[in-house]
Amino acid sequence: MDSPQNIKKRLKSIKNIGQITKAMELVAATKMRRSQEIALASRPYAFAALDLLANVSLMEEQKSGLLEKRNVKKTLFVLVASDKGLAGAFNSSIFRKFESAFSKTKTSEALFIGVGEKAFNYLSKKNLNVVKKFTNVGDYTTTQQVKPLADFLAEGYLKKDWDRVVIFSTHFRSALKQESRIREILPISFESIQETLMEIVPKTGKFSNIVNVSNVNGQRSNVDYLVEPSTKIVLADLVKHLFFMQMYHLILEANASEHAARRLAMKTASDNAKDLGQALNLQYNKVRQGAITSQIIEIIAGAESLS
Amino acid sequence: MKLSIYSLKKILFAGEAMLLNCQTMAGEITVLDNHESLIGVLTPGVIKVIDNNKKENFFEITSGFLEVRQGNEVRCMVD
Repeated sequence: MDSPQNIKKRLKSIKNIGQITKAMELVAATKMRRSQEIALASRPYAFAALDLLANVSLMEEQKSGLLEKRNVKKTLFVLVASDKGLAGAFNSSIFRKFESAFSKTKTSEALFIGVGEKAFNYLSKKNLNVVKKFTNVGDYTTTQQVKPLADFLAEGYLKKDWDRVVIFSTHFRSALKQESRIREILPISFESIQETLMEIVPKTGKFSNIVNVSNVNGQRSNVDYLVEPSTKIVLADLVKHLFFMQMYHLILEANASEHAARRLAMKTASDNAKDLGQALNLQYNKVRQGAITSQIIEIIAGAESLS
Repeated sequence: MKLSIYSLKKILFAGEAMLLNCQTMAGEITVLDNHESLIGVLTPGVIKVIDNNKKENFFEITSGFLEVRQGNEVRCMVD
């Protein structure tokens, strides 16, 4: 058996680890809630913009720019993972999904972008053609942080550097459940944007009932709008904007998932620390008791030999 | 008229308003009650809103869209 001193030392370090993981769990929980709140705040804006887009696209049927479907020669894969580790299965589930989907595509036809330090490390370790990395998205996503990524994707698409953009990110179903998903975000389809907007609110839990608050009416009005300066310019601007918003939501969702995954991982870790601490404490008491017993035996033996 | 101004962060204004003044790509415009249906692209500047209590509200924007809908309803999406 270990000496009591050694056990005491281990006990102390486990207690410390437990405290750290407990703190990290609480921090992650707060951050997750914040991420969700931010996503919800942008909801009315997104719906109004979508509504407007539906109206404008009724007038201008011609598809151009980001809406245009082309023959796929090059595909850009975007992996959204986290900057930091200690988030349980968050990163590895994305990579697993990516591996199973990617095995069908030829490497020569693919380009890659890593969002988050972990995604970049993973891609460069596999010696893939990484175009760019985007990191430091931060705990609370802001529009300024997503803008470079969205602009880069849109510009490359317009310049025909790639004809399709597929994004691997995590879908936030609830605080306990996150799924890795594959989404095709370019060329843009309105359905996919709408889907992304709806998805951020979990099916169950604190924020689940907010879905019904914002009023989206699917009916299209056949009103003649006066459009200034021209439908073409408005449409181009609007589409670019909606694309940006979709990216924003995707990143937000990945962010919320990251925090949820981290919270869960940290909860398991602190539970384990607690269990281990209890077991060690028991062992320590036994060793201590053993030492005391043997000391008493020695004393009695000494006393008996004297008498 | 019913006016709502949304930004990505929050809802800036929602409610009844008398007047909306903003800069668009085609020039500065003022929207009053029962304006014709209109879609416009906003340019950097300040939006001025006078609500039904004659109170003036100002919002600084860098870009956005303006939509005047049928039924005396106006929507702005700004950044």
